[in-house]
Amino acid sequence: MLSSAQTTPRLLRSPTTTAAAAALKCSSQIITTRKSLISRQTSAVDLAKSFLHRLRRTEPQLNSFLYVPPDEAVLKQAEDLDKKIKNNEELGPLAGVLVGIKDNICTYDMPSTAGSKLLENYRPPYDATAVRKLRACGAIVVGKTNLDEFGMGSTTEASAYQVTANPWDLSRVPGGSSGGSAAAVSARQCMVSLGSDTGGSVRQPASFCGVVGLKPTYGRVSRYGLVSYASSLDVIGCFGSSVADAGILLNSISGHDKNDATSSSREVPDYASQFLEIDDLESKPLKGLRVGVIRETLEDGVDLEVISSVRDAVSHLEELGCLVTEVSLPSFSLGLPAYYILASSESSSNLSRYDGVRYGNQVFGDELNSLYGDSRAQGFGSEVKMRILMGTYALSAGYYDAYYKRAQQVRTIIRNSFKEALDKNDILISPAAPSVAYKIGEKKNDPLAMYAGDIMTVNVNLAGLPALVLPCGFVEGGSKGLPVGIQMIGAAFDEEKLLKIGHIFEQTLQGCSFVPPIVADEWTP
Amino acid sequence: MGSKVVQLLLRATPPSSPLFSFRKSDFPVQNKRFYVGKSSLEPPNVERLADTARISLTPQQVEEFAPKIQQVVDWFGQLQAVDLQSIEPAIRAGTEGDNLRNDVPEIFDNRDAMIASVPSYEDSYIKVPKVLHKE
Repeated sequence: MLSSAQTTPRLLRSPTTTAAAAALKCSSQIITTRKSLISRQTSAVDLAKSFLHRLRRTEPQLNSFLYVPPDEAVLKQAEDLDKKIKNNEELGPLAGVLVGIKDNICTYDMPSTAGSKLLENYRPPYDATAVRKLRACGAIVVGKTNLDEFGMGSTTEASAYQVTANPWDLSRVPGGSSGGSAAAVSARQCMVSLGSDTGGSVRQPASFCGVVGLKPTYGRVSRYGLVSYASSLDVIGCFGSSVADAGILLNSISGHDKNDATSSSREVPDYASQFLEIDDLESKPLKGLRVGVIRETLEDGVDLEVISSVRDAVSHLEELGCLVTEVSLPSFSLGLPAYYILASSESSSNLSRYDGVRYGNQVFGDELNSLYGDSRAQGFGSEVKMRILMGTYALSAGYYDAYYKRAQQVRTIIRNSFKEALDKNDILISPAAPSVAYKIGEKKNDPLAMYAGDIMTVNVNLAGLPALVLPCGFVEGGSKGLPVGIQMIGAAFDEEKLLKIGHIFEQTLQGCSFVPPIVADEWTP
Repeated sequence: MGSKVVQLLLRATPPSSPLFSFRKSDFPVQNKRFYVGKSSLEPPNVERLADTARISLTPQQVEEFAPKIQQVVDWFGQLQAVDLQSIEPAIRAGTEGDNLRNDVPEIFDNRDAMIASVPSYEDSYIKVPKVLHKE
């Protein structure tokens, strides 16, 4: 057993801090960067050099990135920014912020492979809307991160190129499918990153890597330029080393997009204004907020240490003034098979565009069907093939009612049950995953074992709700423990509340240093 | 850890954990035979599915995939046991109405890059082999 200093971070008795606690406080990398650039304490070039140096040093062990442009390309953008600062020009909200982008999100100046051999070296003719927006805010893209092929997987082991290692224990997976994005932020190879979440692909790796992962409401962020996996479930999400960073990043990428008919025209609140300094908090800053702990997520089938970490986190919320009750969602377990039916069905349709004709690797044949068949057979990995075949089956004539339609009906049930629970509670709580990070290879040949790990996350995608995962404790493993994440689920478009609660939780968690051993020696916030 | 989870998922007798299997009392089960989650429909013909999905699989690959797919489809089968009468299917979670842009053609500003991605391009045509079979 770990010593008490390592099991869970010690919880503050009250949020007013001593000097010692303030020194341990997790600060926003984005805000710190902005302050030090404006005050001329550091330059964008020096910051970029320091991150790039750490990136290159740790990459051989982590393999978070599928593509990193030459240093000069990144430093040129940093130099341009330093010139702007020198001329006292106005700076965007993400000025100098180094971002990693999951490789299923299109960047016109870098390859976008979606982790597949089929799209090896593919250069999209445009930036995804989310990328365009964050570049317009001054962010610098530092590379494309590794993922399970087409987003199908929970470990990055299904990437056609490489497996990413968990910065907390190199023999373990970072989670998936956005494993590269999570590992890159965890190891401070970049400041923040974008991922995508169809069934938990931002939240589960956030938990495994000890970083903050934010899944917005479906429709909050444009999907234009996100390689489609399951169109009714996909969202682009944010990773940061603090809740504030995830929120500020979300702020810059949200909003309606005429190129995405499923993007919401609802106004975007100023998510960035949530983040109060810790000294300004009253003694029960979350007084009166109703928190519902989902009973079914803390029972049999979940690791005891994960349950214990989450329960400690819930106690902390109570100390901050929350009213905590237990909520039962009896339909909870139906979500997993419903999700996999919907996701594989939609993916079988979405991936039919990869025919080797207009883009991607082509295997020429003497007739059209073999061009299709061979290009796809050689371009797709096994997991992708499996899901396409399962989806094709579920959508076949005669089976649609038994599988796809029933899964849609289950979606209605789950959506309604969450709505009912969120009418009575401000947020709902569950673990982000039933366990901590697996060993590499542990789940590889057993699809159902792999799918079972998504139980905590898929229902949120089915219901289209926002959710925030933040690290709340550690479990024994690796050299300094393995992180555990707590998931907070909000009502549709209620990201503000999630960010407020998450930020205050994080800022009042004493000893909250979630910096992995691989970079801990050299990291100064 | 993980194996505990799989056992609960696949146990033949109804597991005590509500996490991986719904409580019968909350959802009336039409046919108790299917509680365990075996699909009542014809099993997947992987060769035929691969043809439909236009993925060339070798006979060996068909043999490898078939049991895995069967296992997952059986697991899907547990939804057949749930009473879903009078529940409306949801196409997606959101209920926002039309957010369609005007149906007006626009010129894409980077056509050269699109054309550069085409594997076989000749004289403003995308080249493909002839279609031999009519299906």
